[in-house]
Amino acid sequence: MPCNGFTYAWGEAFKSLYRNRWMSIASVGVVVVTLLMLGTFMMVSLNLAHITATVKGQVEIVVYVDEKATPEQQKQLQTMLEARTDLAEIRFVSREEALERLQPELGDFLEGYDIEAENPLRDSYELRAIVPESVINIAKELEGYPAVGDVFYGQGVVEKLFNVTRGLQIVALSLMVLLSITAVFLIAHTIKLTVYIRSKEIMIMKYVGATNWFIRWPFILEGLTLGLLGAILPLFALYYIYGLAASWVTAQNIMFLSLLPVSVMMFELVKYLVPLGTGLGILGSSLSMGRFLKV
Amino acid sequence: MSNNVTYLLIMLSKLVGRPNAMIEVKELYHRYGKDSDFVLANLNFTIKRGEFVFIVGPSGAGKSTLLKLFIREIVPSQGSISILGQDLGTMPPKQIPYLRRSIGMVFQDFRLLEDRTAFDNIAFVLRVTGASAGEITRRTSHVLDLVGLAHKAYARVCDLSGGEQQRIGLARAIANRPALIIADEPTGNLDPDTSLEIMSLLRQINLRGTTIVVATHNREIVDRFQKRVIHLEDGRIASDEQKGVYARAL
Repeated sequence: MPCNGFTYAWGEAFKSLYRNRWMSIASVGVVVVTLLMLGTFMMVSLNLAHITATVKGQVEIVVYVDEKATPEQQKQLQTMLEARTDLAEIRFVSREEALERLQPELGDFLEGYDIEAENPLRDSYELRAIVPESVINIAKELEGYPAVGDVFYGQGVVEKLFNVTRGLQIVALSLMVLLSITAVFLIAHTIKLTVYIRSKEIMIMKYVGATNWFIRWPFILEGLTLGLLGAILPLFALYYIYGLAASWVTAQNIMFLSLLPVSVMMFELVKYLVPLGTGLGILGSSLSMGRFLKV
Repeated sequence: MSNNVTYLLIMLSKLVGRPNAMIEVKELYHRYGKDSDFVLANLNFTIKRGEFVFIVGPSGAGKSTLLKLFIREIVPSQGSISILGQDLGTMPPKQIPYLRRSIGMVFQDFRLLEDRTAFDNIAFVLRVTGASAGEITRRTSHVLDLVGLAHKAYARVCDLSGGEQQRIGLARAIANRPALIIADEPTGNLDPDTSLEIMSLLRQINLRGTTIVVATHNREIVDRFQKRVIHLEDGRIASDEQKGVYARAL
């Protein structure tokens, strides 16, 4: 588009937005409502992912060293664990340290026993995997190793947690796609009305030799502006709502439940909603032009 | 061939006077849909550069279809139409806008943007061709002057009379200095005196070398102007006479 064409297209887009201001407000309203729903859902979904990631990150494998293992075998086990590239953290817990951790919980229960002399606990390694989902496979591999007695990783619970989070991700993605499609249809129909109102103008333009792109540009820029406005307005509302929600959750001080910080959440929302809003506006206006250009 | 080259060729042909035929229609047939009857059948005629031609005939004779074919709104079912040597049947869709820039259209219902000024309606056509702001102002003022409406440049179209609106339509049609003007019932919505004014303007434009094709029902105008008359009936040419009259055509 040449420079004067660019100025012309923007000028026409703004003139049209003003001339059809009620329709423009309606179009922006449609985008605002849709993106507000989408944004709210994104906030819930991103926080679910954040909480799940936090919980997943806390999943540990505890490898108990076999009582019969020789010091040499135990050393070999440690070397093998340290050589693995899929572990983020390896921590050796001696039987004495394990007892020390246990004592405050047992309290008076052990009174009268020389528990330090008859320590029934075993040495262990606490492992954290780089990819939480690989915990099950790592645990299975370690079970067969000679110096290993037992391996615990919260069997059953971990599998359930992973299944639930995978399910939630699929539901979240499907709903987002569904809402986006709804938004495209709503915007396309609203813009189609403005195009219909201006069909006479388009027809005259075709008769006097305007190219299809010369006609399209102002409408596309109009769609882009409507989409952009429709994306920015809900961002303000979402910023306010999320700020309230985040401070309420912080005040409750619930274990495991820590929401994403407002700045991170807003960055994510801007990153997705602004391109989505403008994209929907452009797509909506492009889809609604077709029939009117056939003169 | 690029669109700009097509446009350049059309404009050049205006200057060097080649080809001599503005419109060439050969064995033209047209129907809307494969199973329907032909609305135009076996048309053969040539309109030379600088000619003034009336196309007359009763409603349904095929006048409007013929005009739609001239501006490549539709393509002929059979046969060919050429404008300044360009075969419209084989013309790629991308070149249609460039063809239309060399044709000025005048309509019975004016087809103006009523909420805009007379100036804006004419400037609109020039913007389409990418003219600069200075050129747009200069040419718009010039054509408004030609049709005698320079004093109404900033009046909104909806505040103008029918005759004034058609004069704006005419000014818009000539703004691009077209080689050909096609007018579809230009006096259909006007009283006899205003009709005469509009036709006189078209005759003046014709005297400057622009080819004029007017489809009309207006017997008085046709008889008074004594130009070539092509009479269509049931989609066929019933008569084609130089200095014809409506009555003789019928």
